Amino acid sequence: MDNLLAARALMGVSLAFHIVYATLGIGLPLMLMLAEGLALKTGDDTWHLLARRWIRPAGVLFAIGAVSGTILSFELGLLWPQFMAFSGPMIGLAFSMEGFAFFTEAIFLALYIYGEERLSRRALFLCTIPLTLASAVSAVFVISANGWMNTPAGFQMIDGAPANVQPMRAFFNQAWLHQAVHGTLAAYVATAFAVAGFYAVALLKGRGGGDGKKALSLSLFVALVAAPLMLVTGDWAAYAVAEHQTAKLAAMEAHFKTSAAAPLIIGGWPDPETGTVSYAIRIPKLLSLLAHHDPDAVVQGLDAFPQGTTPDPRLVHPFFDLMVGSFFVMALALVWYWWARWRKNETEPGRAQLKYLAFAAPFGIIALESGWMVTEFGRQPWVVKGYLRTSQAVTPNDGLLLVFATFLFVYLALTAGIMRLLLQRQQKGTGGEVSHD
Amino acid sequence: MTDPVTLAALVLVVALILYALFGGADFGGGIWTALAFGPRAREQREALFNAIGPVWETNHVWLIFIVVTLFTAFPSGFAALFIALMPPLVLALIGINFRGAAFAFRHYGRETGREVPLSARVFEIASVLTPFTLGMAVSATASGTITINYGVTATGTSVWLTPFTLMGGLIGLAICAYLAPVYMTVRVAPPLQDDFRDAAIAAGVALGIATAAMIPLALRYAPRFSQRLLESWPMFFVVLAVFAGVGTQLLLLWRRFRGAQLCAGATVVLTVAGFAAALAPDLIVGEMSLEAAAAPRASLVAYLAILPFGALILIPSLVFLYWTFRGEPSSALPPAGSESGSSEKM
Repeated sequence: MDNLLAARALMGVSLAFHIVYATLGIGLPLMLMLAEGLALKTGDDTWHLLARRWIRPAGVLFAIGAVSGTILSFELGLLWPQFMAFSGPMIGLAFSMEGFAFFTEAIFLALYIYGEERLSRRALFLCTIPLTLASAVSAVFVISANGWMNTPAGFQMIDGAPANVQPMRAFFNQAWLHQAVHGTLAAYVATAFAVAGFYAVALLKGRGGGDGKKALSLSLFVALVAAPLMLVTGDWAAYAVAEHQTAKLAAMEAHFKTSAAAPLIIGGWPDPETGTVSYAIRIPKLLSLLAHHDPDAVVQGLDAFPQGTTPDPRLVHPFFDLMVGSFFVMALALVWYWWARWRKNETEPGRAQLKYLAFAAPFGIIALESGWMVTEFGRQPWVVKGYLRTSQAVTPNDGLLLVFATFLFVYLALTAGIMRLLLQRQQKGTGGEVSHD
Repeated sequence: MTDPVTLAALVLVVALILYALFGGADFGGGIWTALAFGPRAREQREALFNAIGPVWETNHVWLIFIVVTLFTAFPSGFAALFIALMPPLVLALIGINFRGAAFAFRHYGRETGREVPLSARVFEIASVLTPFTLGMAVSATASGTITINYGVTATGTSVWLTPFTLMGGLIGLAICAYLAPVYMTVRVAPPLQDDFRDAAIAAGVALGIATAAMIPLALRYAPRFSQRLLESWPMFFVVLAVFAGVGTQLLLLWRRFRGAQLCAGATVVLTVAGFAAALAPDLIVGEMSLEAAAAPRASLVAYLAILPFGALILIPSLVFLYWTFRGEPSSALPPAGSESGSSEKM
C-alpha cells in the first residue's frame, strides 16, 4: 500500500466511523427535544423517562463522536497538509462556525445529561432546543466545506495559487445547500430508524412494553416527516449534480457515453474497459428526465471528459444504487407502520411488522454511508474538483501505513468497547434502555 | 495592532490559554486519578471524575477551536506544523481518543454497577500521554528545529525530539497536574480539601522545577527563542509568572483557596502568554512568520467577523455550564434511567 492509498484509506475509515456517531449526534437531540416537549405538553411523565433512558447511549455516542471528530480535524493536517494550505482560507470559515456550534452542542448536552438534579424540568427541556439546533447547524456548516470541494467557488487561480479569495462565496457554493439539507434530513431518518429498530427488537423479545410503543411512534413520526423530504431533496440534489458535477453524475448512473434520451441504469456492474454495464435494468429516458427534467435531454457521459479526470463508476454507481435502494427499504417500513395504525386505529404493531422494522433499521446509516461514498468517490481523482488532485494533497511524511494500522486498531478498540458496553448491559438486564420489566 | 494577522494570532493565543486553563485542568484531573494518594485515594478519584464529567467535552472543544483557527487563519503554517510534527500529534490524538472513550465507558459502565478498571487505567495513561505530547508539539514551534527549505518542510525525529521539547512536554504535564488540584480545593470540603491542597503544592513545586530546568535547556537547544524571551519585554511575563506561582503557593499554605485558584490561573496565563510573546512575530521560530503563514486578508476578516457572533452564544452558555455545575462535584448519576424508577412504572 503506498502512502497515498494509506492516507485515503485512513481518511475513509475515519470518516466512515465518525459519520455513524455524528449522525446519531444530530438525530438523537431532536428525539430528546420532542420527547421532553411531549412530557411537558401532555403531562405524561413517561415521555420524560423515555428520554432520560436515552442519555446513556447518547452520552457514549456523543463522546465517541467528539473524539473521532477531533481525529478528523487533525487528519486534515496530518494527511492532507497541501489540501489545507490550499483550501483553509476558503473552507476555514465553515469549520470555524461549526466550531461554535459544536461548543454549544457539548455545553447543552452536558447540561441535559448531568443537570437532572440541578435544573428544573422546564430548563432541561429548554436545553434540548439549542442542543437540537446546534447539532443540525453544525452539520449544515461542515457540509459547506465538503460542498466546496465538490463545487469550488470564491477564488481565482492566478499563477497556480488561489487569489481574490471571497470566503462567503466559498461558503455558499453551488453544492452546499442541497447537500446540507439532504444530509441533515438523512441524519434524522437514520437515527429514527436506528431507534425504531432497537425498540422493535425489544418488543419482539417481549420487553419494552409501553416504552417501546411510545418510542416507535416518536421515531417513526420523525421518519415520516423526513423521508418524503429525502425524496424531494434527492431529486433536487441529482438535478444540481447534473448541472455542476457532470462527471459525478455520469459515474453515479454508470452513464458512459454522452447521449440524448438517456435511460436510467439500475443495478449492474459497470466496466470502464468496455464502457458497458452488465446485468442492469434500464428504464428508457428516465435519466434525462431526472437529470434535466426533459426526457429527450442530452446527458453527458464519462466519455465527455479527458482521460484521468473522471471517477471510477465501479466505486460510485453501486453505492448510489445502495443509497436509493435503502431508501425504499425504509419507505416500505414507514408505509406499513402508518397504514396499519391508520387502518386499525391502534398502536399494536404485529410481529411480522416488527421483524421488518428490525431488518430496515440499519438502512438509514447504510444509506448515509453510501451517499457519502458516492459524493467522495464521485469527486476523484480530485480533492478540490478541477483544481487539486488528491495525489497532490497528501503529506510527504513516510510511514502512513503504520499510522493507518494504528488508527485502525484505535477504531476497532473503540467499537469493541462500545459494543461491550451497550450489549453487556442488555444481557445483564441492569438498567439498559429496554430491560426494565 | 489592529491588522487582521495580529488579531488572528491573538485569538490563537487566547484559545491556547483557555485550552490550557480548562482542558489542562481536565487532563490534570486524569493525572491525579493516577496519583491519588493516602487513605482517601478513592474519594479523591471519585471527586475528580465527578468534576470532569459534565465539562470535559466542552473543555476539549478548545483544542478543535485551536486547530480550526490555525488552518483558517494560518493555513501554510498549519500545513508545515502538521508535516513536521506528525509523530507527536499522532500520539496526542491516540491519547485524546482513548481518554474520551475510556471516560465515557467508565462513567456509563459504572452506572450499571460494573467496575471498569481497564477503562480507568486507560484514562490515566491517556491523561498523561496527551498533554505531554501536545507540550512537545507546542514547544517544538520554538525549538528552531522545524526547517522549511524552498517550501519543503523537513521531517524526522530530530525535528520534534530534543531535550527542549521533552522538557516542554514535562511542563505541559506539570501545568495540567498543577491546575486540577488547585481548582478542586474550592469545590470540596475538608479533609479532601487538604489532600488537594497538598497535591497542588507538590505540583506547584514540580512546575517551578521544570520551568527552572527549562532555562539552561532553552539556552542550549533553542538559542533563538531563549534570546527573544530573555532579552526583551516578554521577560516581563516570565517575572510575573514567577511571582504568581510563588503567590499561589503562599495562598495555598494560608488556605486562601479562592485566591490560590485565581493566582494559579494567572500563572498559567502568564506562562503561555510569555511563550507566545517570545515566539512573535513568528509562528515557527526563525522559519515562518505569522505574516507568511497567514491566509489572505479577506479570509482573516471573515474569520474575525464571525467571532463576536460566536462569542455572543458561547460566553453565556459557558457561564451557564460552569455556574450550574459549581460547588461540590456530585456523582449526578442520571436518575431517570435508574432501575427502581422504571420498574415502578412498568
